[in-house]
Amino acid sequence: MKHIKKISFWFLVLFLLILICLPGIWIFVSAFRPNPEILSKPANWIPDRWTIHQFTQMFSINGYVSVPAFKYLMNSIIISSVSTVIAITIGMMGGYAFARFNFRGKNKIFLGLMLARAVPGISLSLPLFILFAKLGIINTSFGVILVYVAMNVPFTIWLTDGFFRQIPKEMSEVARTDGCTRLQAFWNVELPLAGPGIGAAAIFAFLLSWNEYALASIITRTVHSKTLPIGMMDYLDEFTINWAGMCAIAVVMIVPALILTFIVQKHLVSGLTFGGVKG
Amino acid sequence: MAKVELKNLTKKYGEVIAVQNMNLTISDNEFLVLVGPSGCGKSTTLRMIAGLEEISGGEIFIRDQLVNEKDPKDRNVSMVFQNYALYPHMTVEENLGFSLKIAKVEKEEIEKRVRDAVQILGLEELRKRKPSQLSGGQRQRVAMGRAIVRRPDAFLFDEPLSNLDAKLRTQMRTEIKKLHQKLKTTIIYVTHDQVEAMTLADRIIIMKDGYIEQIGSPIEVFTKPANIFVATFIGSPPMNIIEGDVIRKENKLIIKIDDEINLECPQKIQSSLENKNKIYLGIRAEDIMPKETSDYTNSNWCFQKSINLAEPLGTETQLFFTIKNKEIISRMYNPKDVKVGDKINFQIDSNKVHFFDAETEKTIF
Ligand SMILES: Nc1ncnc2c1ncn2[C@@H]1O[C@H](COP(=O)(O)OP(=O)(O)OP(=O)(O)O)[C@@H](O)[C@H]1O
Ligand SMILES: [Mg+2]
Repeated sequence: MKHIKKISFWFLVLFLLILICLPGIWIFVSAFRPNPEILSKPANWIPDRWTIHQFTQMFSINGYVSVPAFKYLMNSIIISSVSTVIAITIGMMGGYAFARFNFRGKNKIFLGLMLARAVPGISLSLPLFILFAKLGIINTSFGVILVYVAMNVPFTIWLTDGFFRQIPKEMSEVARTDGCTRLQAFWNVELPLAGPGIGAAAIFAFLLSWNEYALASIITRTVHSKTLPIGMMDYLDEFTINWAGMCAIAVVMIVPALILTFIVQKHLVSGLTFGGVKG
Repeated sequence: MAKVELKNLTKKYGEVIAVQNMNLTISDNEFLVLVGPSGCGKSTTLRMIAGLEEISGGEIFIRDQLVNEKDPKDRNVSMVFQNYALYPHMTVEENLGFSLKIAKVEKEEIEKRVRDAVQILGLEELRKRKPSQLSGGQRQRVAMGRAIVRRPDAFLFDEPLSNLDAKLRTQMRTEIKKLHQKLKTTIIYVTHDQVEAMTLADRIIIMKDGYIEQIGSPIEVFTKPANIFVATFIGSPPMNIIEGDVIRKENKLIIKIDDEINLECPQKIQSSLENKNKIYLGIRAEDIMPKETSDYTNSNWCFQKSINLAEPLGTETQLFFTIKNKEIISRMYNPKDVKVGDKINFQIDSNKVHFFDAETEKTIF
């Protein structure tokens, strides 16, 4: 009886797992097979022929390139990395200030930041478009980075604030009586302790930028600034859809995101170890 | 080592007054203990000396230098926190050497000083461990080591032993005492454990609500408490406080405790009680002695009560009874079986009774 229960439980888990992963698996499989096969009915689960044609096509330097995926990838990497570095730097300082200092209107400012996160980004798209057009930074990486920094700063502040709060304030106090300036105490003691948390926050911010579609679709126009999610739409022609190409570019997007997610979860699970304090 | 001086030191958190006009001089090599109930401003005082808390008023001098505006790092005092606050990402050795590394002391010198501290505190085996791999007592020792290595002008301890179990606490108490004798440093030590205060201190400061109630040597504050608060705070079990009416009878003063107990006022304090109607008597448990006598007239401060509870502790038995609904404790040093309800004769040692003013609660005699 117990066995049956256990086995049926695992079957249920397996079923749900497949259900959840199916679209992802389908994308992976489809990225490596010829386009016509994707639309075959009944569905062909195991490709007859594996091919990396879509990838070579996408990244071919010479010859005809229908979709400049390499350029999109570079745009994505640059925009996501730069915006993440800026957002985490500002966020770290902000989070530290919120965690450690008392200043007037602290709670209201914090609430304001959180509310800013609550506004759906897409509702800002029109004003942003007009503003950026007037400033002449429409369709530039700089413009996208600016938007992503604004989007991520409240988020990184919120996360790092939590991580710094977990570090007892005696840590920095004892460092300061040990001869550190506030900055030295931060650098030598608090930052190493909050390090994993800050790393995780940075990866979250990176993923948000990496996957962002709505705002980028408004501000980016050409290959000059388009990111991967936007570039994906290039496979939508007026009359045909290159499903295989789309799946291939999706794989290029998903793989780094997956790897980063694994890194984050490891850090979040391991958490911070506070052996220095009692208990 | 150095002298520490506080002048009119005040700290306010908004409306809350944490420390009020504190004046104090802590001399070279003195072991000063701050005691008082929770929230009386002990930690705040210490943190102001360390520079971790901004002061609202007054002045702090260390080594005759005004340090009000100085950063903690420039005050050259070491603080040991209740939760130790060891750097979790550093080994014991790195924890100890950290302050010297920051001060850019030469490597050999750091090694030498860390080695000395490790030896003084018996941490040899643990040098390479991280704080999370240490027991509570070991962490406490590392925290002290970290303070020693710097050779500061003064040590500040904030309840360093309160996270340890009773046995370890006693042991570490002795070690701190030895350490003080060895290092000859100025120590300001906060605790709310009065046994710790009595055993460690050269001088004790008893604080309450941000005020200093009394300063004195352990013996002084024990034998000559300034008021009821100090009297009941220092000593265990706490001093019995009994209310009494002063009655004049044929040019004699009688202190009437209850219907059965009327005590004749000793000659020497009669003048102090002349114009009082009510006073408090403070009597330590060891000064209310069970007495084997049939004469229990009040004239020699004897009376009879029945026992509510007897707690044998080995060397002594504590007897509990009530006077005017107040629980009174007596110490019996010649253990003998006592049953609840037994009527026992007691004698108060009238020479050791403390007299407190009923209004100000200050000591009259
Ligand atoms: N950051 C703060 N904001 C407002 N009030 C504070 C703050 N820190 C301390 N206080 C108040 O100041 C008073 C003194 O606090 P302090 O920490 O010095 O007490 P303590 O004597 O160390 O008590 P304990 O034995 O519990 O540690 C308390 O009434 C406390 O509520
Ligand atoms: Mg305290």
